[in-house]
Amino acid sequence: MDLLYFEDFPADEVVEYGDRTVTAEEIVEFAREFDPQPFHLDEAAARESVAAGLIASGWHSAALMMRMNCDGFFLHAASQGSPGIEQIDWLRPVRPGDRLSVRRTTLSARTSRSRPEIGVVEARFELLNQNREVVMRLQGPLFIRRRANGETQR
Amino acid sequence: MIGLWYEDHEIGQTASLGAHRFTREAILEFARKFDPQPFHLDEEAAAKSIFGGLCASGWHTVSVSMRLLVDGRHAQRKALAKDGETPPPLGLGRGVRDLRWSAPVRPGDVIAFSLRVESLRETRRPDWGLIGMRIVGVNQDGREVCAYMLMGMAARRPA
Repeated sequence: MDLLYFEDFPADEVVEYGDRTVTAEEIVEFAREFDPQPFHLDEAAARESVAAGLIASGWHSAALMMRMNCDGFFLHAASQGSPGIEQIDWLRPVRPGDRLSVRRTTLSARTSRSRPEIGVVEARFELLNQNREVVMRLQGPLFIRRRANGETQR
Repeated sequence: MIGLWYEDHEIGQTASLGAHRFTREAILEFARKFDPQPFHLDEEAAAKSIFGGLCASGWHTVSVSMRLLVDGRHAQRKALAKDGETPPPLGLGRGVRDLRWSAPVRPGDVIAFSLRVESLRETRRPDWGLIGMRIVGVNQDGREVCAYMLMGMAARRPA
Protein backbone atom coordinates (compact mmCIF):
# COMPACT_ATOMS: atom_id res chain seq x y z
CA MET A 1 0.00 0.00 0.00
CA ASP A 2 1.28 3.49 -0.82
CA LEU A 3 2.21 5.62 2.14
CA LEU A 4 -0.44 8.17 3.07
CA TYR A 5 0.67 11.78 3.45
CA PHE A 6 -0.91 14.90 4.92
CA GLU A 7 -2.48 15.63 1.54
CA ASP A 8 -4.46 12.38 1.83
CA PHE A 9 -6.38 13.70 4.85
CA PRO A 10 -8.65 16.42 3.45
CA ALA A 11 -10.88 18.50 5.72
CA ASP A 12 -14.42 17.18 6.26
CA GLU A 13 -13.52 13.63 5.21
CA VAL A 14 -15.33 10.91 7.17
CA VAL A 15 -14.02 7.34 7.04
CA GLU A 16 -14.86 4.16 8.94
CA TYR A 17 -12.69 1.15 9.64
CA GLY A 18 -12.03 -1.59 12.17
CA ASP A 19 -14.04 -4.55 13.40
CA ARG A 20 -13.21 -5.80 16.86
CA THR A 21 -15.44 -7.94 19.05
CA VAL A 22 -14.52 -7.52 22.70
CA THR A 23 -14.47 -10.60 24.94
CA ALA A 24 -14.99 -10.78 28.70
CA GLU A 25 -11.55 -12.42 28.97
CA GLU A 26 -9.71 -9.49 27.40
CA ILE A 27 -11.72 -6.95 29.45
CA VAL A 28 -10.61 -8.75 32.62
CA GLU A 29 -7.04 -9.20 31.37
CA PHE A 30 -6.61 -5.48 30.68
CA ALA A 31 -8.25 -4.58 34.01
CA ARG A 32 -5.98 -6.90 36.01
CA GLU A 33 -2.97 -5.10 34.64
CA PHE A 34 -4.15 -1.49 34.49
CA ASP A 35 -7.53 -0.83 36.09
CA PRO A 36 -8.43 -3.48 38.68
CA GLN A 37 -11.80 -2.13 39.79
CA PRO A 38 -14.63 -4.62 40.44
CA PHE A 39 -16.81 -3.49 37.51
CA HIS A 40 -13.93 -4.31 35.11
CA LEU A 41 -12.91 -7.57 36.80
CA ASP A 42 -15.82 -9.66 37.94
CA GLU A 43 -19.30 -10.08 36.50
CA ALA A 44 -21.01 -10.73 39.86
CA ALA A 45 -19.36 -7.76 41.58
CA ALA A 46 -20.02 -5.59 38.51
CA ARG A 47 -23.75 -6.36 38.68
CA GLU A 48 -23.84 -4.86 42.19
CA SER A 49 -22.02 -1.71 41.02
CA VAL A 50 -23.03 1.49 39.24
CA ALA A 51 -22.01 -0.23 35.97
CA ALA A 52 -24.73 -2.91 36.37
CA GLY A 53 -22.56 -5.56 34.74
CA LEU A 54 -19.02 -6.08 33.47
CA ILE A 55 -17.68 -3.12 31.44
CA ALA A 56 -14.32 -2.45 29.80
CA SER A 57 -11.96 0.09 31.37
CA GLY A 58 -12.18 3.37 29.49
CA TRP A 59 -8.42 3.10 28.94
CA HIS A 60 -8.98 -0.31 27.38
CA SER A 61 -11.49 1.27 24.98
CA ALA A 62 -8.89 3.92 24.13
CA ALA A 63 -6.23 1.23 23.57
CA LEU A 64 -8.58 -0.78 21.33
CA MET A 65 -9.32 2.34 19.30
CA MET A 66 -5.58 2.98 18.98
CA ARG A 67 -5.13 -0.53 17.63
CA MET A 68 -7.87 0.01 15.05
CA ASN A 69 -6.31 3.38 14.16
CA CYS A 70 -2.93 1.69 13.67
CA ASP A 71 -4.38 -1.02 11.44
CA GLY A 72 -6.74 1.47 9.77
CA PHE A 73 -4.17 4.09 8.77
CA PHE A 74 -1.32 4.95 11.18
CA LEU A 75 0.84 2.02 10.06
CA HIS A 76 0.68 3.12 6.44
CA ALA A 77 0.77 6.88 6.96
CA ALA A 78 3.78 9.21 7.21
CA SER A 79 2.76 9.74 10.83
CA GLN A 80 4.92 11.93 13.05
CA GLY A 81 3.01 11.17 16.22
CA SER A 82 0.62 13.30 18.22
CA PRO A 83 1.43 15.85 20.90
CA GLY A 84 -1.66 14.82 22.83
CA ILE A 85 -5.41 14.55 22.91
CA GLU A 86 -7.66 17.51 23.66
CA GLN A 87 -10.61 15.53 24.88
CA ILE A 88 -11.80 11.98 25.55
CA ASP A 89 -15.41 11.28 26.51
CA TRP A 90 -16.55 7.88 27.73
CA LEU A 91 -20.18 8.09 26.72
CA ARG A 92 -21.51 4.53 27.00
CA PRO A 93 -20.21 1.31 28.52
CA VAL A 94 -18.35 -1.27 26.40
CA ARG A 95 -19.55 -4.74 27.38
CA PRO A 96 -18.44 -8.29 26.55
CA GLY A 97 -19.55 -9.26 23.03
CA ASP A 98 -19.73 -5.65 21.79
CA ARG A 99 -18.51 -5.27 18.22
CA LEU A 100 -16.50 -2.06 17.84
CA SER A 101 -15.43 0.06 14.89
CA VAL A 102 -14.03 3.57 14.39
CA ARG A 103 -15.39 6.62 12.55
CA ARG A 104 -12.78 9.28 11.86
CA THR A 105 -13.72 12.82 10.86
CA THR A 106 -11.11 15.31 9.71
CA LEU A 107 -12.18 18.61 11.27
CA SER A 108 -9.39 20.68 9.73
CA ALA A 109 -6.06 20.25 7.98
CA ARG A 110 -3.29 22.86 7.91
CA THR A 111 0.42 23.16 7.40
CA SER A 112 2.55 23.56 10.51
CA ARG A 113 3.89 27.12 10.78
CA SER A 114 7.07 26.10 12.59
CA ARG A 115 7.70 22.92 10.56
CA PRO A 116 6.49 23.43 6.98
CA GLU A 117 7.26 19.80 6.07
CA ILE A 118 4.56 18.70 8.53
CA GLY A 119 0.79 18.94 8.28
CA VAL A 120 -1.51 19.15 11.29
CA VAL A 121 -4.72 17.15 10.94
CA GLU A 122 -7.31 17.92 13.62
CA ALA A 123 -9.33 14.73 13.88
CA ARG A 124 -12.31 13.44 15.80
CA PHE A 125 -12.47 9.70 16.44
CA GLU A 126 -15.67 7.99 17.49
CA LEU A 127 -15.76 4.43 18.76
CA LEU A 128 -19.00 2.82 17.59
CA ASN A 129 -20.69 -0.32 18.86
CA GLN A 130 -22.83 -2.80 16.92
CA ASN A 131 -25.89 -0.55 17.41
CA ARG A 132 -24.03 2.41 15.84
CA GLU A 133 -23.98 4.14 19.22
CA VAL A 134 -20.92 6.29 19.99
CA VAL A 135 -19.37 4.72 23.08
CA MET A 136 -16.24 6.91 23.19
CA ARG A 137 -15.26 10.14 21.46
CA LEU A 138 -11.74 11.45 21.19
CA GLN A 139 -10.39 14.60 19.58
CA GLY A 140 -6.89 15.82 18.92
CA PRO A 141 -4.24 16.80 16.38
CA LEU A 142 -2.16 14.37 14.29
CA PHE A 143 1.19 15.31 12.78
CA ILE A 144 1.60 13.86 9.28
CA ARG A 145 4.44 14.54 6.86
CA ARG A 146 3.61 16.42 3.67
CA ARG A 147 4.50 15.06 0.26
CA ALA A 148 7.89 16.42 -0.76
CA ASN A 149 6.50 18.26 -3.78
CA GLY A 150 3.16 19.03 -2.19
CA GLU A 151 1.18 17.28 -4.93
CA THR A 152 -1.78 15.03 -4.18
CA GLN A 153 -2.00 11.57 -5.64
CA ARG A 154 -5.76 11.24 -5.42
CA MET B 1 -4.21 11.56 51.91
CA ILE B 2 -7.37 12.66 50.11
CA GLY B 3 -10.60 10.96 51.27
CA LEU B 4 -12.74 8.89 48.94
CA TRP B 5 -16.09 10.70 49.19
CA TYR B 6 -16.87 13.67 46.98
CA GLU B 7 -17.05 15.91 50.08
CA ASP B 8 -13.52 14.93 51.10
CA HIS B 9 -12.09 16.76 48.08
CA GLU B 10 -10.91 20.36 47.96
CA ILE B 11 -9.43 22.20 45.03
CA GLY B 12 -5.65 22.30 45.33
CA GLN B 13 -5.22 19.07 47.28
CA THR B 14 -2.33 16.99 46.00
CA ALA B 15 -1.28 13.37 46.42
CA SER B 16 1.51 11.15 45.22
CA LEU B 17 0.39 8.04 43.34
CA GLY B 18 3.74 6.27 43.52
CA ALA B 19 6.14 5.30 40.76
CA HIS B 20 6.40 2.60 38.12
CA ARG B 21 9.37 1.24 36.20
CA PHE B 22 8.69 0.64 32.49
CA THR B 23 10.54 -2.47 31.34
CA ARG B 24 11.41 -3.14 27.71
CA GLU B 25 9.28 -6.31 27.85
CA ALA B 26 6.19 -4.47 29.09
CA ILE B 27 6.65 -1.69 26.51
CA LEU B 28 6.87 -4.27 23.71
CA GLU B 29 3.94 -6.33 25.02
CA PHE B 30 1.62 -3.32 25.21
CA ALA B 31 2.72 -2.14 21.76
CA ARG B 32 2.16 -5.56 20.18
CA LYS B 33 -1.41 -5.61 21.49
CA PHE B 34 -2.51 -2.03 21.07
CA ASP B 35 -0.03 0.27 19.37
CA PRO B 36 2.24 -1.60 16.93
CA GLN B 37 3.98 1.48 15.51
CA PRO B 38 7.68 0.84 14.78
CA PHE B 39 8.97 3.29 17.42
CA HIS B 40 7.20 1.24 20.13
CA LEU B 41 8.23 -2.18 18.79
CA ASP B 42 11.55 -2.18 17.01
CA GLU B 43 14.79 -0.66 18.35
CA GLU B 44 16.34 -0.15 14.93
CA ALA B 45 13.29 1.46 13.35
CA ALA B 46 12.81 3.55 16.51
CA ALA B 47 16.38 4.88 16.28
CA LYS B 48 15.56 6.30 12.85
CA SER B 49 12.20 7.74 13.95
CA ILE B 50 11.38 11.18 15.38
CA PHE B 51 11.74 9.64 18.87
CA GLY B 52 15.36 8.59 18.28
CA GLY B 53 14.87 5.28 20.11
CA LEU B 54 12.34 2.85 21.52
CA CYS B 55 9.64 4.44 23.67
CA ALA B 56 6.40 3.36 25.35
CA SER B 57 3.03 3.91 23.74
CA GLY B 58 1.44 6.99 25.29
CA TRP B 59 -1.59 4.81 26.02
CA HIS B 60 0.65 2.49 28.02
CA THR B 61 1.89 5.42 30.11
CA VAL B 62 -1.59 6.68 30.96
CA SER B 63 -2.87 3.14 31.65
CA VAL B 64 -0.09 2.70 34.22
CA SER B 65 -1.11 5.98 35.89
CA MET B 66 -4.62 4.56 36.24
CA ARG B 67 -3.25 1.41 37.86
CA LEU B 68 -1.42 3.46 40.48
CA LEU B 69 -4.50 5.59 41.14
CA VAL B 70 -6.68 2.48 41.57
CA ASP B 71 -4.12 0.76 43.82
CA GLY B 72 -3.96 3.78 46.13
CA ARG B 73 -7.71 3.98 46.43
CA HIS B 74 -7.98 0.25 46.99
CA ALA B 75 -5.60 0.52 49.96
CA GLN B 76 -7.72 3.36 51.36
CA ARG B 77 -10.92 1.32 50.96
CA LYS B 78 -9.36 -1.60 52.78
CA ALA B 79 -8.26 0.68 55.61
CA LEU B 80 -11.78 2.13 55.91
CA ALA B 81 -13.32 -1.35 55.96
CA LYS B 82 -10.85 -2.39 58.67
CA ASP B 83 -12.06 0.53 60.80
CA GLY B 84 -15.62 -0.73 60.37
CA GLU B 85 -16.62 2.01 57.91
CA THR B 86 -18.35 1.31 54.60
CA PRO B 87 -16.29 2.69 51.72
CA PRO B 88 -18.19 4.76 49.14
CA PRO B 89 -19.50 3.06 45.99
CA LEU B 90 -16.99 3.31 43.15
CA GLY B 91 -17.75 5.86 40.45
CA LEU B 92 -17.01 5.73 36.74
CA GLY B 93 -14.66 7.91 34.74
CA ARG B 94 -16.42 10.36 32.41
CA GLY B 95 -13.49 11.44 30.31
CA VAL B 96 -10.17 13.23 29.93
CA ARG B 97 -9.18 16.79 29.05
CA ASP B 98 -5.87 18.18 27.77
CA LEU B 99 -3.88 14.96 27.59
CA ARG B 100 -0.33 15.63 26.49
CA TRP B 101 2.64 13.37 26.06
CA SER B 102 5.48 15.78 26.73
CA ALA B 103 8.51 13.48 26.49
CA PRO B 104 9.11 9.84 25.54
CA VAL B 105 9.13 7.07 28.17
CA ARG B 106 12.16 4.82 27.55
CA PRO B 107 12.85 1.26 28.69
CA GLY B 108 14.03 1.37 32.30
CA ASP B 109 12.51 4.78 33.03
CA VAL B 110 10.87 5.15 36.43
CA ILE B 111 7.85 7.43 36.21
CA ALA B 112 6.40 9.00 39.36
CA PHE B 113 2.77 10.10 39.12
CA SER B 114 0.94 12.68 41.18
CA LEU B 115 -2.55 14.16 41.23
CA ARG B 116 -4.03 17.53 42.08
CA VAL B 117 -7.71 18.24 42.57
CA GLU B 118 -8.62 20.90 39.99
CA SER B 119 -12.41 21.07 39.82
CA LEU B 120 -15.47 19.96 41.80
CA ARG B 121 -19.00 19.98 40.47
CA GLU B 122 -22.29 18.72 41.73
CA THR B 123 -24.34 16.83 39.16
CA ARG B 124 -28.02 16.34 38.46
CA ARG B 125 -27.78 13.11 40.41
CA PRO B 126 -27.82 13.90 44.12
CA ASP B 127 -25.65 10.91 45.01
CA TRP B 128 -22.71 11.71 42.67
CA GLY B 129 -20.28 14.58 42.16
CA LEU B 130 -17.83 15.16 39.30
CA ILE B 131 -14.16 15.66 40.18
CA GLY B 132 -11.46 16.92 37.84
CA MET B 133 -8.01 15.65 38.81
CA ARG B 134 -4.82 16.68 37.07
CA ILE B 135 -2.49 13.72 36.80
CA VAL B 136 1.17 14.28 35.96
CA GLY B 137 3.93 11.75 35.29
CA VAL B 138 7.57 12.75 35.79
CA ASN B 139 10.64 10.66 34.94
CA GLN B 140 13.74 9.98 37.05
CA ASP B 141 15.35 13.18 35.71
CA GLY B 142 12.43 15.31 36.84
CA ARG B 143 11.10 15.77 33.33
CA GLU B 144 7.35 15.66 32.73
CA VAL B 145 6.39 12.81 30.37
CA CYS B 146 2.61 13.07 30.46
CA ALA B 147 -0.17 15.13 32.00
CA TYR B 148 -3.93 15.07 31.78
CA MET B 149 -7.12 15.99 33.59
CA LEU B 150 -9.22 12.98 34.56
CA MET B 151 -12.93 13.66 35.04
CA GLY B 152 -14.45 11.10 37.37
CA MET B 153 -17.60 10.56 39.38
CA ALA B 154 -17.31 10.31 43.15
CA ALA B 155 -20.08 9.25 45.51
CA ARG B 156 -21.51 11.89 47.84
CA ARG B 157 -21.50 11.19 51.53
CA PRO B 158 -25.00 10.32 52.71
CA ALA B 159 -26.48 13.09 54.87
